[in-house]
Amino acid sequence: MKKIVIISGKGGTGKTTMAANFIKIAHGHVAVDCDVDAANLHILLDPSIKKKETFIGGAKAKVTGDCINCGKCEELCRFEAIKDSTTDIKIDKLKCESCEVCVYICPTKAIELTDEKQGEYYISDTKYCSFVHARLDPGAENSGLLVTKIRNISEDIAYQQDKKLIIIDGAPGIGCSVIASLNGVDYALIVTEPTISAISDFKKIYEVAGFFNIESLVCINKFDINLDNTAEIEKFCANRNIEVLGKIPYDEDVPRYLADKKFIIDSADSPAAKEIRNLWHKLEKSLYK
Amino acid sequence: MIISVASGKGGTGKTTIATALALSVGYCQFFDFDVEAPNASFFLKPDIKHIQKVKIKQPVFLTDTDKSFKECAQFCHYNAVAIAGSEVIFFSELCHGCGGCILVGPQGSVREEDVVVGEIRKGMVSPGIEFFMGDLKPGTMRTTEIQNALEKYIEKEKLVIIDCPPGTSCSMVTAVKNSNHCILVTEPTPFGLNDLILSIDLVKELSIPFGVIINRDGIGNSEVENYCSQNNIKLLAKFPYDMNIAKSYSKGEAVISGRPELKEKFLDLANKVIKDKEAE
Amino acid sequence: MKICISSSGTDLDSNVDPRFGRCPYFIIYDTDIDKFEYFENESRNAMGGAGIQAAQFVVNKGISTVISGAIGPNSFKVFNAANINIYSGVTGTVREAIDKLKNGKLVLTPAPDVQSHSGMGRNS
Repeated sequence: MKKIVIISGKGGTGKTTMAANFIKIAHGHVAVDCDVDAANLHILLDPSIKKKETFIGGAKAKVTGDCINCGKCEELCRFEAIKDSTTDIKIDKLKCESCEVCVYICPTKAIELTDEKQGEYYISDTKYCSFVHARLDPGAENSGLLVTKIRNISEDIAYQQDKKLIIIDGAPGIGCSVIASLNGVDYALIVTEPTISAISDFKKIYEVAGFFNIESLVCINKFDINLDNTAEIEKFCANRNIEVLGKIPYDEDVPRYLADKKFIIDSADSPAAKEIRNLWHKLEKSLYK
Repeated sequence: MIISVASGKGGTGKTTIATALALSVGYCQFFDFDVEAPNASFFLKPDIKHIQKVKIKQPVFLTDTDKSFKECAQFCHYNAVAIAGSEVIFFSELCHGCGGCILVGPQGSVREEDVVVGEIRKGMVSPGIEFFMGDLKPGTMRTTEIQNALEKYIEKEKLVIIDCPPGTSCSMVTAVKNSNHCILVTEPTPFGLNDLILSIDLVKELSIPFGVIINRDGIGNSEVENYCSQNNIKLLAKFPYDMNIAKSYSKGEAVISGRPELKEKFLDLANKVIKDKEAE
Repeated sequence: MKICISSSGTDLDSNVDPRFGRCPYFIIYDTDIDKFEYFENESRNAMGGAGIQAAQFVVNKGISTVISGAIGPNSFKVFNAANINIYSGVTGTVREAIDKLKNGKLVLTPAPDVQSHSGMGRNS
């Protein structure tokens, strides 16, 4: 069973658009949207939810017993989550990292970790495949844990349904959500664009993928808006034996199709569509070589 | 006054707009809180004066004794410590540096060392922009520590502009929570609308006054604009899609560079937001 | 003796799960009394270190043998340190795997599976 994650470093380079179009043309697959705090894939896939579960992300420290204002917890909390412990103790849920040092050290056992609902996850059917997705509550943490959960479920489904491929839409950035979405995949397809910002973030996410021993493949989206920068990306890749699987031209039809919630690969004459189709065929070949 | 510039969806133009605001106003503090993928420095081109490493303390297990570190493995909430026979297997990238190992482990057999998780860079952009950015070391997950270190430099009596990370989870909340006003940047597409609604929910929950900017107007449809008018949401500005601006952006050129009419527009925007705050 | 098998479900007719650290359940079968218990694998939801935590969990259950589709290097270390017999690359149902073990049809796995490979191997 193969797993491919689509990531970018920089947001807005076209991860989800690419992922959605791959999902439409692939066969024998399961899809999962790991961009849990701004999930968009469902907009195109139009899922019917079969199962919905609450995500209990993590427990936060809370004073539930008799605080004697000794101040020990505040002294030891490395995350600045505890304030005014010698007068009127306050624990900042946003800063609490659930380490339980305060729980351990409290002489009167006045602090407990209490479960926090942090989101929901869904197992759905779509026209193309089973689809696992989620929604992290605004401001919630532990997005990495929610990503891990839905990754596990997508694999369970793939094994149950005897599917050979999981297509994962990743999150932007280089933090815990993305790292959780990279876990154990066969390839990371990095979708980048020829802008200074995207190039900087591409190099970072490439480094992160390498750190976790994941092989990267590259796609340069809107490559023709800056040919010098495209050449720079290609040179960077050539120097490191990174395969550039495709270069997608800027195409006004792409946002137009998206605005109508349609798949660009359904366009017969869009130049971007042609390249996306080619790229998918190359990707399939790499996966099953 | 602290103005944050945020967006549910990535790539809508937060950094473009935040940096344009700062350059138009000329005198402010500017913070790039997108410490995982910071880009503002490409457009502001600051003269960096100081680099500060951000460190956490991680455990070092002195295994040349017959002491057991089982307690550390059991205590660790992040699965960063595991025991295989007499060997301790430590996953530095999972460790949050909570100090639990020192507390629960065998006395004297666990010490700590500083581990760099990223850095803060401080500098100046003329005429008078104090520039601050964070940069997370790839492979580590300590976004929080970098942002916390950055937060300490905010001087709320000054005009502060904060470029936020995308999304609606904790790293975005940390960036936005201290602000008096949040500018939500979106694009006129279904993805843009979906994520705008999520980010509006968030800033409302944080009780932060906000307004919306539609960037790259013309590429999609009018659903976002309709949503704003139907829900009494302040539309601060619309910037049409412009291939020339896209090309300038790709080179790292500030969009107001050589576009005085755009600079005026950003100055007006800044003044509008500041006036609204004063009116409250 | 007690055998631990990574499982997709909660009974002996469930399939051997191709994963170890991230499988949904462990079935622990006691050959002395021909009875089994299943456990939910709580380690599977950890961001990292799932394999090793799962390995520690089953070692603490007093097992002598582990059967799975694939076993990564960290779990391998834990099992080696505890002198546990490792059979990976096993497919089929849990019941079939136990029978194969009893009939000497499984081959001990000498080295860990690299994480990205699925459970194809000598024990399929």
